[in-house]
Amino acid sequence: MFTLEKFDSFNRKISLGLELIGLAAMIFLVFITTVDVIGAKLFVRPVFGALDVVMLSQLVAISFASAITLIVGRHVEVEFLVMLFPRRIRMVVDLFVKLLCLTLFVILVWRLTEYAHHLQVRHEVTPTARIPLYPFAYGAAFACIPVCLVYISIVIQSFFGLIKR
Amino acid sequence: MTPETVGLVGIALLVALFLIRVPVAFSMTIVGLAGFAYLSGIESALSLLAQDIFETFSSQPLSVIPTFILMGSFAFASGISQRLYFAGYTWVGHLRGGLTLATVLACSGFAAICGSTAATAATMGKIALPEMKKYNYDQSFATGTVASAGTLGILIPPSTVFIVYGIMTEESIGKLFIAGILPGAILTVLFMLTVVVLCLHNPKLGPAGPVTTWRQKFIALSGIIEAVILFALAIGGLFLGWFSPTQAGGIGAFGALVIGLFRGGFNLKVTLDATRDGLRTSCMVLFIIAGATVFGHFMAISNIPFKLADWVGNLPIPPMAIMGVIIFIYFIGGFFMDSMAMIVVSLPIFFPIVKKFGFDPIWFGVIIVLIAEMGVITPPVGVNVFVIKGIAPEVPLNQIFKGIFPFLVGLFILTFLLMAFPWIATWLPSLM
Repeated sequence: MFTLEKFDSFNRKISLGLELIGLAAMIFLVFITTVDVIGAKLFVRPVFGALDVVMLSQLVAISFASAITLIVGRHVEVEFLVMLFPRRIRMVVDLFVKLLCLTLFVILVWRLTEYAHHLQVRHEVTPTARIPLYPFAYGAAFACIPVCLVYISIVIQSFFGLIKR
Repeated sequence: MTPETVGLVGIALLVALFLIRVPVAFSMTIVGLAGFAYLSGIESALSLLAQDIFETFSSQPLSVIPTFILMGSFAFASGISQRLYFAGYTWVGHLRGGLTLATVLACSGFAAICGSTAATAATMGKIALPEMKKYNYDQSFATGTVASAGTLGILIPPSTVFIVYGIMTEESIGKLFIAGILPGAILTVLFMLTVVVLCLHNPKLGPAGPVTTWRQKFIALSGIIEAVILFALAIGGLFLGWFSPTQAGGIGAFGALVIGLFRGGFNLKVTLDATRDGLRTSCMVLFIIAGATVFGHFMAISNIPFKLADWVGNLPIPPMAIMGVIIFIYFIGGFFMDSMAMIVVSLPIFFPIVKKFGFDPIWFGVIIVLIAEMGVITPPVGVNVFVIKGIAPEVPLNQIFKGIFPFLVGLFILTFLLMAFPWIATWLPSLM
């Protein structure tokens, strides 16, 4: 259990660290939008490629905040029925649910990596500033790895919790 | 199995996953992926998954969501709400039930710069509940008022629900925002009338507060200036066509940050905390939209929405009765599901019906938001109630719900008014 606690702490640190990148992207998104509006409306000089930068900033912000959003329990769940189950059944259901979510994110890491490779070989770029898209897709795939780690930890905890009873 | 049968099995599976507490966003993604794989092959489904996630997260039109959410987070942290409440308190606090009237007014003002019901209820709850406790307001009445008035957050623009509705139905977010103004003002009046009637019936619910002079009243008005400026800048700019929705949100967020820095005592920690809160909420919402996109693709190839629209279209029932049934389904669904999730899941199914019967999509958006408002204050998953419970842990949940019921009447009245007089929602957008 001590190792698991260390694993949890590691996950949290990694997720918080990645979130800092997301925070920077989020602030940059607002900043570039504001500068673009002021430039366009007051000086008739919009920022070149502002829309491209906004979309990529949003991608980075959301992807890199996904692990911490999961850890702090921000995702919406329907809670009322499971609470009515006996404790043991609730634990089995919980283990199944977490395994399902883990599978989803493992698939996401795999497919986003393939998608990034596809963007790379086809030299896909943003429409205006022609920024290559593939590094951002690799980044999104990478950002899903901590989500998998968080789910692995939860699955192990749920499994041991079930065995103990 | 026919595609329609697969679609129906998919919907049943989705409900089952919701019920066993799979997060809503992931439930939709999983069912959408599985259903698409069954109908079109595993390889195309897996490719679609990665593409949908990537394109949703990097969608430029969707960047309106983080910008407006961030505007709300900065406004929440900047102390604007406190000054709004103080202004309302100074003007109507001396009346019977005056502190609750001030709360409704302040919620209405704060809703004009924040698009979330929970944030509006939380921010006003923290300020208003201690005051009402000080003046011996009935706890059930006080908490019920704050939770209910907090729902104005998604009707008066900006509104996260309008944004998501606009994106999913490809309707103008600007028009949706403007459509919410008049109903929002009417609902504010209806909530205030509810307070007045309740206090006339039972004066002990809300004893009168201290009397203020006219000079104090006018000085207190300075507290609403920054909210008015922010609203005029972001929503006014949108209305006048100066800004796109994302630009309006960006300018609004920047403006709220500047107000926070100069008037709210923002330091690095407060700024980072507010941004963090906005980012996490945005992440949650965008995951739901990504899930809905995957699920929507599955629904589209299952033909369910189109078959359902055809079937309903041939029923010998007047369109308004069909609308009544849709509203009833949303109302019941709102008891058990988060409103945003409920809307995202159901829109691909119901929106074709709405279009087929020729209902105005902007009007329907306002109706949807009203039903969503009911969803956030009705048991067992009333988000606002839990927010208020967190602020006033000494008040039992059933007491908060009891305090909410009179305000539901106001929401019902407005729903009927909108059904009888749709121009309440469509008149202002028609001027754009």
